[in-house]
Amino acid sequence: MSSADHLPSAASFQRNATHRRWWLIISVIVIAILPSVLQDSYWRTNLIVCALNVMLAIGLDFILGYAGQLNLGHSAFYGIGAYVSTLLIMKLGVPFWAAFLCGILLSGTAGMALSIFAVRLRGHYLAIASLGFAVIVHQVLVNWISLTQGPLGIYGIKPPPAIALPGLPAVSFGDSANMFYLVAGFALLFYILLDRLVRSPIGETLTAIREDEVSAASLGINCTAWKVFAFGIGSAVAGAAGAFYASFVGTLVPDAFIITESFTILAMVIVGGIGTLIGPVWGAILLTVLPEVLRGFGDFRLVLYGVALTLAVLFMPGGMMQATQVFRAQFGFLRSKLGAEGTQ
Amino acid sequence: MRSAAISPAEVKALDAPGTLLFRGHGLNKSFGGVHAVRDISLSISQGEVFAIIGPNGAGKSTLLNLMSGHYQPNSGAMSFGGVDLVGLPAHKRVRLGLARTFQKIRLFNLLSVLDNVLVGFHVHHDLSAWQYLAQGAAFRRNHASCIEQARALLSFVDLEPRADVTAASLAYGERRMLELARALATSPRLLMLDEPAAGLNAAEVEKLLDRIARLRARGMTIVIVEHNMDLVMQVADRVFVMDYGQYLFDGTPSEVQASPAVIAAYLGM
Amino acid sequence: MSTVILQQAINGIVLGSLYVLVALGLTLIYGVLVQINFAHADVVTIGAFAAYLFTFNFGGNYLISIAVALIVGAALGWLVNAAVFAPLRERGNELLPLIATIGVSILLQNVMLLWFGPIPYAFDSPYSNQVIRLGGGTFITGQNIIIVVVSTLTIALLYVFMKFTFMGKALRAVAQDRETAGLMGINPNHLIMLTFVIASALAGMGGAMLGPILVLTPFAGTTVIVKAFAIVIIGGFGNVEGTIIAGLLVGLIESYTTQLVNPGLVDIVVFSLLLVMLAFRPTGLIAEKREENV
Repeated sequence: MSSADHLPSAASFQRNATHRRWWLIISVIVIAILPSVLQDSYWRTNLIVCALNVMLAIGLDFILGYAGQLNLGHSAFYGIGAYVSTLLIMKLGVPFWAAFLCGILLSGTAGMALSIFAVRLRGHYLAIASLGFAVIVHQVLVNWISLTQGPLGIYGIKPPPAIALPGLPAVSFGDSANMFYLVAGFALLFYILLDRLVRSPIGETLTAIREDEVSAASLGINCTAWKVFAFGIGSAVAGAAGAFYASFVGTLVPDAFIITESFTILAMVIVGGIGTLIGPVWGAILLTVLPEVLRGFGDFRLVLYGVALTLAVLFMPGGMMQATQVFRAQFGFLRSKLGAEGTQ
Repeated sequence: MRSAAISPAEVKALDAPGTLLFRGHGLNKSFGGVHAVRDISLSISQGEVFAIIGPNGAGKSTLLNLMSGHYQPNSGAMSFGGVDLVGLPAHKRVRLGLARTFQKIRLFNLLSVLDNVLVGFHVHHDLSAWQYLAQGAAFRRNHASCIEQARALLSFVDLEPRADVTAASLAYGERRMLELARALATSPRLLMLDEPAAGLNAAEVEKLLDRIARLRARGMTIVIVEHNMDLVMQVADRVFVMDYGQYLFDGTPSEVQASPAVIAAYLGM
Repeated sequence: MSTVILQQAINGIVLGSLYVLVALGLTLIYGVLVQINFAHADVVTIGAFAAYLFTFNFGGNYLISIAVALIVGAALGWLVNAAVFAPLRERGNELLPLIATIGVSILLQNVMLLWFGPIPYAFDSPYSNQVIRLGGGTFITGQNIIIVVVSTLTIALLYVFMKFTFMGKALRAVAQDRETAGLMGINPNHLIMLTFVIASALAGMGGAMLGPILVLTPFAGTTVIVKAFAIVIIGGFGNVEGTIIAGLLVGLIESYTTQLVNPGLVDIVVFSLLLVMLAFRPTGLIAEKREENV
């Protein structure tokens, strides 16, 4: 991915630590009160799906926006995490959290394997390879009936086991509020971890690789190793989302992980703002919630993804984050990068 | 793609082992039908400024790319400080102490000037991976020390006041200097500069010359690929002349200036 | 046994020639623009629906519906290029146009969803049930004959066009070096538009003929597009001869796998082949590889 001038730089969102701490507190509070605000199961389901999408989007952004790798097969890692953890639980009786960990490890490993395989491939080829990989994974899930029960799916998946802390009542995850806290909590955790990585020299290394691999190599950076690392992390997070998805929905069918799902997640990343980490969070929230809010408009809401993605690419490739910058610059409230330094 | 070892006769012709930093023998590189580097052998001594010159298309940049590891030779041998280089990828050579700049400036435009230089310090980080996540005391100390050294390097090229500006907004001459500072961040033993004076005005060339002289005074070995004859003659200890990918001549600057073969090659263009 | 082998060879060639038709459009676009167009397969689907509407809602002749689909495809190609891709071309970013094509693809799919709904349409061409016996115990349906004839004719015409006419040569010139072609008085933007129109026309036509074979839903394109890309990669991006060979090859592999192994494994086999190709010869069966210029 070449350095595109109109994309907001990661540095421009380096608000100071206090600022970030405030946002963290606000996020925790919002997560805490949301299930009280939205009590009906329909909206709670949406909240949980939202949290899952946030996980998927930030994982993809790490691969796409920070390591610059055109991964169009993210749904495969989602599916691997879901099926691996579920099968371990239901066929081998592995306890939930151990299975969860295995799901993460396996999808992370799959991501690294794909990345190693594709390391010599440039842009377009990697895109197609990742798509091909996603199709293969999906087809394996559909056809390996003895293992996955194919299109019929796996039923009766239980939510994570209740947690009983001493002296407190057991926290059951059959309750959608608690499930939301769990998933959203993990989403927040993953976000914090990725954010840390991104703000560290590792993040700079990835930016360097994304900008100019040859140059990065001339400074001693092992580009292959870092790209594989980024891919592994991003796909591991997707695997975690998969494990939660299965235990939440209770039913697992291969068609939940068709390649169109990859495009949906991609849309969230782009519309939110690629390479900004916080942008995809907003993108995921927007593109999960908006179609539900627009239910009154009938099936037109389905057109939303396509329109949003196309418009974003055409007019605001930096997504919502770029829009925010432009907004700020226009009104001169804060000294944004755009405002202070002229054209980038 | 390893060739035969250096023959005994050639070993005698080279300087005593201790002072040789870089050795290349019988290097060949072709692209499709173009034989860009033919059977080139060279040796570079510790602490000298070694210039590679030649008319356009002589294969100078290709040779530099072979040395830095961005291309792998089709045949031939190379070693740096006694370590065999053939097959070693570029990023590993940097760890050995080989650094370079590029003919076409390749900065990280989205990063700040300071961050560009900081990236160069990663090579020699002693921290383990988890410390980047935890960002404990050891990390903070290391980071602070890197920033200090980076600023020192920026002062060296007069860019310290612009440390927090985006690299994209620097002027051309400043960008060249930033590339130099960034390469120096890797603590090289051998610094390779690919046409460092290209596009610089007279004042900037003076500054470049001054910096090269200062680096040399500190004992750094420098390889320069250049077109600018004045610069080469002023700063080089030895000059290696190429033409059509082949070895033409090598010697001190005055020897090269006097060589009829070299004059013919340049005039012939 | 040999009957089975022959029969699958015939089926494979039929399928293959359809794949070639779709993949050719992709390879043409890539050759001229160095851009992957995800929306291509949705033009195929739209072509199929257009043919369906013409045949069943308007009571038209199926063969003419193929021509209708061609025109619809061409018009769509013109529209999408003018509205979306041309403006993006100036930006010079590798990632964004690709994502734009994904956006257009999603958009087209969902518009079709609005119009046609998610339930598959039974698109039976009047020729699907006509069976003609060939030698050796094999047979071919009328529909398949149409497919092979139309595809072969079209591909041949296209080949002649690209190699021997001025327009075709101009197209290849633009593919190799857009700036210089521009300096020679060729307007690259017009030629790019022409490429899109031709490619989309091919796609529309392919759709009309694929309709009776595929499960016809708005999402039919998704299943086709990745396979089409696989073919383009195996044959070599931008390489017309390679695409033809690769398309036929994939068609044959598919029909043999279906018959002799397991229909469910078809996609796995094809895409594993793709990954193998990418591992060892990413530039395709015929092309050459280059080191990046530093």
